[in-house]
Amino acid sequence: MAASDVVFRVKRYRPESGGRPTFQEYTIPYRNDMVVLDGLNYIKDHIDPTLTFRWSCRMGICGSCGADVNGQPRLTCGTYIRDVHKGAVTVEPLSNFPILKDLVVDFDDFLRKLASVTPYIVRKDWGDLTKEYVQYPEDVEAYRQQSLCINCMLCYAACPVFGSSPEFVGPAASALALRYNRDTRDEGADARLARLNTRTGVWECTFVGECSVVCPKDVDPAAAIQTLKFLATMRHMRRLLMPGSSSR
Amino acid sequence: MPMTGREYAWKRRPGWWLRNRRYLMFQLREAGGVVCALYGLVLLNMLVQLRAGESAYTAFLDLLRTPPVLYLNVVLFALVVWHALTWFMLIGKAQPIQFTRQPLPWKVVFGINVLLWLGVSGAVVYLIFGGI
Amino acid sequence: MLLEPIFWSLFSLGGFITAFLFPVTLFLLFFAAPFHLWPTDPAAYSTFGGHWKEPLVRLFFFVLIGGSLFHGTHRLKFMLMDAGFKGRSAEAFLDVILNGVAIFGSLGALFYAVRGWLF
Repeated sequence: MAASDVVFRVKRYRPESGGRPTFQEYTIPYRNDMVVLDGLNYIKDHIDPTLTFRWSCRMGICGSCGADVNGQPRLTCGTYIRDVHKGAVTVEPLSNFPILKDLVVDFDDFLRKLASVTPYIVRKDWGDLTKEYVQYPEDVEAYRQQSLCINCMLCYAACPVFGSSPEFVGPAASALALRYNRDTRDEGADARLARLNTRTGVWECTFVGECSVVCPKDVDPAAAIQTLKFLATMRHMRRLLMPGSSSR
Repeated sequence: MPMTGREYAWKRRPGWWLRNRRYLMFQLREAGGVVCALYGLVLLNMLVQLRAGESAYTAFLDLLRTPPVLYLNVVLFALVVWHALTWFMLIGKAQPIQFTRQPLPWKVVFGINVLLWLGVSGAVVYLIFGGI
Repeated sequence: MLLEPIFWSLFSLGGFITAFLFPVTLFLLFFAAPFHLWPTDPAAYSTFGGHWKEPLVRLFFFVLIGGSLFHGTHRLKFMLMDAGFKGRSAEAFLDVILNGVAIFGSLGALFYAVRGWLF
């Protein structure tokens, strides 16, 4: 092993053989400017073509390459080896998800949850679609932070509540619900709050806050969920005390 | 989607909260909250014993001050203080009701809350406990 | 009907109450005198009994006990559920028991607060 080599400990799992996931070690040449994804690609290209992992844009915008690096949910394309190089670099699939193969996890459940919060603009009447909907800078600023979510699911990997209660709607889906609730063009806030004001909605959250710590885009889903708890409570009280009042 | 073989199901490890410092601080914070309820019952019992008379009240107070119980109380009090500090941090991190246009940095809100806490504590000393 | 928003609101209110009022109160009652950090003993029967005559003090302790109970029992519920006490019936059981403790504790505090003052 040369002085400028690095050891990768990668979790492997073969669905055909089943059993338990095991670690496999690879020694690869190391340059100061490599990210973890570069290491994985080196392994696949030169050492072990059977290693399976997701990646795409390699610049932190597609959200494909999430993995647990040294126990922390990270984007492998955005994690420099020099920052995590304490002896070996350990790469495992994202926590809290079923493993399909090696570093690839099953996120069908996440996609269902995302769909359940209607993550698109909902209107009763679209009006004249040849005219634009005016939105001022402050209107955009109201939902901009939550709109930055790239659906990378690092927040789900970080959330201990999701880890033991897989029915929890989760941080990203909640943040995106807030993004659309805060969009002045949208009229679907009431339906989304109804979805989130449930046992599997925001009330599972105990504000551990780890989701916001690991988010690579500073979406701050933890704050979004606490805001949604407050909004859901206001809506709940309004419906209790004034039945038949209008939505929103 | 058809796939040969099977998925490996996920199970959360029992010691998950020892995995990093923030998880541990979270569990201590939660424990601090439960300790607050415990002290709520202690205070309620104080009121019950106060009504029962001087000997009952003093006996209860002395029980709380005997060395093993007293040192346990010190540990529990530390958890209560940690709970208060993390509460001020959480207000900063969540800010569900905003007084400003954009959310303030959480450390600023934390600082404001600590100052408010000092003021409220001073008021309690004078209004409830009759001053120094 | 989902009662969780209501319990969460009481939990939040209790959180403010305990965070702002508990440290100084517990310090004065349980630690000031034993560790000689205060010139008098605020918890002594005559001292505390004297202050107990004031309605503000009675209201203070009612709020403190009610707030801390609703706050702490809510946290305990989530700690227990996280530790494995899961499922609809388990949650319903915890809801009844823990909120029951909070409600009865608060009513008890209210009773002792007004006893000797209003009746």
